[in-house]
Amino acid sequence: MAYQTPAVVMDNGTGYSKLGFAGNDSPSFVFPTAIATKGPAGGAGGSGSGRPAVAQKPSYLTGGAGPAGHLSAKRGTEDLDYFIGDEAIAMGSGPGYGIHYPIRHGQIDNWDHMERFWQNSIFKYLRVEPEDHYFLLTEPPLNPPEARENTAEIMFESFNCAGLYIAVQAVLALAASWTSSKVQDRSLTGTVIDSGDGVTHVIPVAEGYVVGSSIKSIPIAGRDITYFVQSLLRDRNEPDSSLKTAESIKEEFCYVCPDIVKEFTRFDKDPERFQKYVVDQGAGKKVTVDVGYERFLAPEIFFNPEIYSSDFLTPLPVVVDNVIQSAPIDVRRGLYKNIVLSGGSTLYKDFGRRLQRDIRHLVDARIKRSEQKSGAKSGGLEVHVITHKRQRHGPWFGGSLLGQTPEFRSYCHTKAEYDEIGPSIVRRFALLGGPA
Amino acid sequence: MPAYHSAFLEDTDVRIIGNFALLPLRTKTRGPAYTLPSLPAGVAELDLDPDHESYDILDETLTLFRANTLFRNFEIKGPADRVLIYGILWISDCLSRLKPTMTLREAEKAITTAALEQYALPGDPSFPLNALYQGPRDRGEAELLRGYIGQMRQELGSRLLTRIYADGTGKPSKWWLSFTKRRFMGMSL
Ligand SMILES: Nc1ncnc2c1ncn2[C@@H]1O[C@H](COP(=O)(O)OP(=O)(O)OP(=O)(O)O)[C@@H](O)[C@H]1O
Ligand SMILES: [Mg+2]
Repeated sequence: MAYQTPAVVMDNGTGYSKLGFAGNDSPSFVFPTAIATKGPAGGAGGSGSGRPAVAQKPSYLTGGAGPAGHLSAKRGTEDLDYFIGDEAIAMGSGPGYGIHYPIRHGQIDNWDHMERFWQNSIFKYLRVEPEDHYFLLTEPPLNPPEARENTAEIMFESFNCAGLYIAVQAVLALAASWTSSKVQDRSLTGTVIDSGDGVTHVIPVAEGYVVGSSIKSIPIAGRDITYFVQSLLRDRNEPDSSLKTAESIKEEFCYVCPDIVKEFTRFDKDPERFQKYVVDQGAGKKVTVDVGYERFLAPEIFFNPEIYSSDFLTPLPVVVDNVIQSAPIDVRRGLYKNIVLSGGSTLYKDFGRRLQRDIRHLVDARIKRSEQKSGAKSGGLEVHVITHKRQRHGPWFGGSLLGQTPEFRSYCHTKAEYDEIGPSIVRRFALLGGPA
Repeated sequence: MPAYHSAFLEDTDVRIIGNFALLPLRTKTRGPAYTLPSLPAGVAELDLDPDHESYDILDETLTLFRANTLFRNFEIKGPADRVLIYGILWISDCLSRLKPTMTLREAEKAITTAALEQYALPGDPSFPLNALYQGPRDRGEAELLRGYIGQMRQELGSRLLTRIYADGTGKPSKWWLSFTKRRFMGMSL
């Protein structure tokens, strides 16, 4: 067989984009899904440049054909004056540029910015000729078909890419867990808990297809945990309580404990559990921040949202149990047996262990109740939460695995097919990695 | 796993006034509480096992305080939970009277004064938790309850100070003081 160029795999998340090549163990680039353009900042979450956000028409209102196709034609050279990723954050914090975040809650919200973000991703970072490569892109669960069509239009018409496959992040996350020794069969049935920066999704997948009606999303994710750390630092008047410091402390020091009362007592008995974090504030100024109870309290908001939020109160284990209970009865066993973690906010030490214990308690209690009612003994139910090495970039890594298989190209739509049929061709893709 | 309840809910053999339990206390302050033996030599308060004969509701209150003050909701399951709530709110009250620079001496003075100040009893118009507590039926009961709550306030205040001055720096623990702003169930005494 002739040499084939590797597929390009791009997982664009609300907070971070992961870019690289199929067959690799990790993405070549991971940077914020942010773009800095001339002028003031865009919507919420923008930098401090102060102007109010300009409302944007939701993409589905502009229809499948969208404005995206014309934009590249209309743009002059001045539009090349923009930055993405870490450079965008750096530029956006100075004068002259505004930062925009083209993805909101997992979905592309600004197609012009997204197109330019992709353009830079492909030509400046990955440095590939799109006509020589097939592309594997990811999408959130329940992505509207119009969003897929817009994506195809940009990929094929603006970039001329050779072929395209769009996969649901949760399905890729399941495939990513196949590297774990705990996973016995390469099944595409399981419950994915994908927790990134902006949202946490609980997504049941049965034989490669998302059980759409059972998906739940939880408004608690990485950003909230960072805010909570920040509020605890402020309560103690620590010398630096910026979001950046809070986020670093979160990523470096936090873990999930079995029981918060016992954990407070452990801190009383063992002062070594308190730590110090040194912040370099620039200009040679360093301050030391004490790190204490936030180590275990911050991720506790998944398990006891009440300590952080007054309007969302359901603990994650209860949400997972409810999601599985709402799925068709014949797949529930498989959904409990393969609960797969994915995304940056599932990386806390012992997150999976606590989740498994709490879900198991809920399941056991229900089994006991029904045994008491019926008098019959039930066979029990296995609950397994899979923690694995590729969890952090789960969707990207799953894409890398599937994108390197010999059959991958035959599952893609090609440029020629797109030209013949049009954007609607991407409404359907055959299931990659599923049973042949 | 919501806020934590008192393990003393199981003790049914105690005097109840209104719906507040007069649980035994380990204390040298005078009053109506049934007193538990003091700590055996060499046993630190922190290491006291909940099954130990000297373990009391105040030990439990100190243990649960930091976790429970993070919660807004709490479903009262019985008279011992009301003792726990009062104790937690009293600890919050004490913390709000301390300053980061206070020496142990100054803190003791502030807390002892506060403990002995006039305090409202369940059923009094100025008691802030009357929706959850029943008052005493007569003056005899009221006197008993006043005496018991007085013992609680003094003993808990002094044990709290032992804990927050435990690190030997001579200043109150910033870790405990950071809970000053939090309000268990959104309430305060
Ligand atoms: N070691 C770590 N421990 C805890 N949190 C971490 C760790 N590393 C990264 N994170 C957090 O994970 C989040 C980013 O995760 P991820 O890249 O999965 O999100 P995303 O895909 O951009 O967002 P979404 O999936 O919501 O669209 C950030 O909040 C980051 O602080
Ligand atoms: Mg993601």
